[in-house]
Amino acid sequence: MASVAHAHDHPPAAHQSSRVDSRLLGIYFFIASEVMLFGSFFSAYFFARVVVGAEGGWPPEGFELPVYLALLNTIILVTSSFTMHWALQAVKRGNRSGLVAGLTLTFLLGLTFLLIQAREYTRLGFAPYDNAFGSTFYGLTGLHGAHVFVGLNLLLYALIRSLRGHFGPEPEKHLGVELPGIYWHFVDVMWIIVYVTVYVI
Amino acid sequence: MAVEIEHATEHHPAHAPPPPRRGLRRLTGAGWLRVLWVMPLSFGLATLLVIGARAAMGFDPLWELQVLIVAWTVVVPLGFLAALGGFDYWAYWISGKPTRPEDHSGHGARTWKDYFRVNTDHKVIGIQYLVTTIFFFGAAGLMAMFMRAELARPGMQYVDTNTFNGLFSVHASLMIFLFIIPAFAGLGNYVIPLMLGAPDMAFPRLNALSFWLLPIAGLIMMSSYLVPDGGAFAAGWTNYVPLAVQQPDGNLMFQMGVQWAGASSIMTALNFLVTIITMRAPGMSFWRMPLLVWANFATSTLVVLATPFVAGSQFFIMFDRVLHTNFFNPEMGGDVIAYQHIFWFYSHPAVYIMMLPGFGIASEVISVFARKPIFGYRLMALSLMAILILGFSVWAHHMFVSGMQSWIRIPMMVTTLVIAVPTGIKVFSWLATLWEGRIRFATPMLFALGFVTMFVIGGLSGIYLGSVPVDIHASDTYFVVAHIHYVLFGGSLFTIFAGIYYWFPKMTGRMYDERLGKIHFWLTFVGFNVTFFPMHWVGLQGMPRRVADYAPEFGNWNLVISIASFGLGASTLVFLYNMIVSWRAGAPAGPNPWRALTLEWQVSSPPPIFNFHEIPQVVGSPYEYGVRGARHAVLNGDRAAVEEREKVEA
Repeated sequence: MASVAHAHDHPPAAHQSSRVDSRLLGIYFFIASEVMLFGSFFSAYFFARVVVGAEGGWPPEGFELPVYLALLNTIILVTSSFTMHWALQAVKRGNRSGLVAGLTLTFLLGLTFLLIQAREYTRLGFAPYDNAFGSTFYGLTGLHGAHVFVGLNLLLYALIRSLRGHFGPEPEKHLGVELPGIYWHFVDVMWIIVYVTVYVI
Repeated sequence: MAVEIEHATEHHPAHAPPPPRRGLRRLTGAGWLRVLWVMPLSFGLATLLVIGARAAMGFDPLWELQVLIVAWTVVVPLGFLAALGGFDYWAYWISGKPTRPEDHSGHGARTWKDYFRVNTDHKVIGIQYLVTTIFFFGAAGLMAMFMRAELARPGMQYVDTNTFNGLFSVHASLMIFLFIIPAFAGLGNYVIPLMLGAPDMAFPRLNALSFWLLPIAGLIMMSSYLVPDGGAFAAGWTNYVPLAVQQPDGNLMFQMGVQWAGASSIMTALNFLVTIITMRAPGMSFWRMPLLVWANFATSTLVVLATPFVAGSQFFIMFDRVLHTNFFNPEMGGDVIAYQHIFWFYSHPAVYIMMLPGFGIASEVISVFARKPIFGYRLMALSLMAILILGFSVWAHHMFVSGMQSWIRIPMMVTTLVIAVPTGIKVFSWLATLWEGRIRFATPMLFALGFVTMFVIGGLSGIYLGSVPVDIHASDTYFVVAHIHYVLFGGSLFTIFAGIYYWFPKMTGRMYDERLGKIHFWLTFVGFNVTFFPMHWVGLQGMPRRVADYAPEFGNWNLVISIASFGLGASTLVFLYNMIVSWRAGAPAGPNPWRALTLEWQVSSPPPIFNFHEIPQVVGSPYEYGVRGARHAVLNGDRAAVEEREKVEA
């Protein structure tokens, strides 16, 4: 530890008492909180589906979900996780064009996901106010959609900065790619859980 | 390894303010001038957005107050935060512009004006928190006075039933979301980085933002009185459905207020967790952390994991009201009881969110004023973690009479009684710490001892209420009111007072008036007991809570309660007077008036702007009072002495 007594120009460097970077740890706790938010929506979903139930099983009679369209969407989102990983690996190797390409691809894939979901909403044939099935369906997928939207924003910011040449291979210099990436993977994994719960089982 | 702190090539001298803007540019710089025009602008924008969207979709009528309230309570606060400068740094960052050089002009307070801007200094934020929360404490307390005035005699006197319902709902919401939870966050904000030997919190800008969400939440809740047709939200702070969905528009103000307060406490908790894990001084292992830090570690974990559930529950009510969804509508396949499950899955842990930091404060104060090491330090820390885990398994004991599946009652009763074990460990540890101590009855100690005694009474009535048969009898009576006030007033509030008196010399550099402090304690202690103890009796005799009128046979006790409650309210004036006068003109306190070992007392009062000139080296337990030669840490130049001793010992 440096032990030079500082004039009050700037703080003494804090002692780093954990091997994990504080910003990484911060986003992990944030994601833990997000998981619990999804947990509350899943709770509402299972109360409607299991505790109350509906006539004719789940989905109730006369309601149908486009399982295969959503599967296509799932594939798109999972692919975007791989392109995100590619972007991060690229910046770690100092490959700027790889970073830009990876981020752009990820952003476009995420945008495609959202657009397909919006199209799906308009063609479903039921509304959130029709019954509890509709409410919980739109609740869960809508909450996830909102997270995709936030993720897209984060990706956009990283993309703008990468176009302006801000990131580099040193660990300190590509946190701005790594953190949105972690969030993006979380959104992706969450979608797989939502998809399996809402569409498949 | 030291954390690298971003430095610009040219930086301003010590925390100098940025050069002042001139002319019209003053309107665009972060601050209250920008707030002045951005807030009306965002208000108009939100209104136009809603009306435009409704017109585009062909909805009728265009002016729908519910939707507008949602839009206003989202957009206007965001505009306020942006105008005040809460997002400036991030706006620069995301647009790829070079971020401002880290000149630390956001740090520290030189004039009172520095408390009214986005300030990144955890000490300033701590005081911002405390002053704000005490303001809401006063407002909520006044509402309680109105209620007690109405309840002094049977029959209806001053307010109508709906206003009364609004009074107790807003009273409870403000006390819980705007006073107890954030007041602990404020004390933690001030003290935790100091106790850890850190120059600041891990995320100072997030910290500043999380404070400014708080007045927003409080003002939203308070302004619910202004909502036309029905006034304030009046379904209680628990906001049960279906009542919440059927209530007038004011109910939305509760849901939106809770979202802001919840976001604020999640952000602060996340900050605490990361700070505690990554910024401890060298030598400060987890087993050398003061118990207040441990308590906030447990509390913050609870906040991060549980608060999303209250956010979810209020989102669902908002959707049910505004979008006409059917989350809780049984006619359309929804589940009414689901609300209570989701709500209490947060709100029971919230009880511990409101109590664990108080446990931490009590541990600090009792150990210092008994001049003894805390008894069973590790068990004290572990019992906090046990409460944290068990706290997630007891929520349905609030729902014994809700009509849920009756088999859930038994496991919930068992876990509720089990959670009394770690709590009991803590109480006995405090007693053992006091045992044969050289106790000094200063004001913080009086409040800490008052807390231990009152909390035991509240805990015992909690065991009654946790037992299904008793709860069925006492549910929704004044017995419950007595219980929650014994744990939240006698528990949380007493520890908040203890904490404020204890750290007042550190925060202001001045000593509070000890005589007034003692008067405040005794007035509060006696007033509190005369107010709330009789509620046990009238409750068991069947007086229902949350009702403006009552049967005449409860009249005498209620008169006693009301008179005592006015005295209790007046005792707060002594506190405020003491705080204000001592802050301006108290005797200088010196760095360590209590002769405490923890790190915040090893620096000047108030501490230097970055807390430590040099990060301290922790060498021992924080509680070795009365142990000859024991040290918690080595600071500024003391190192030589200790190295000498270590050499001798080796």
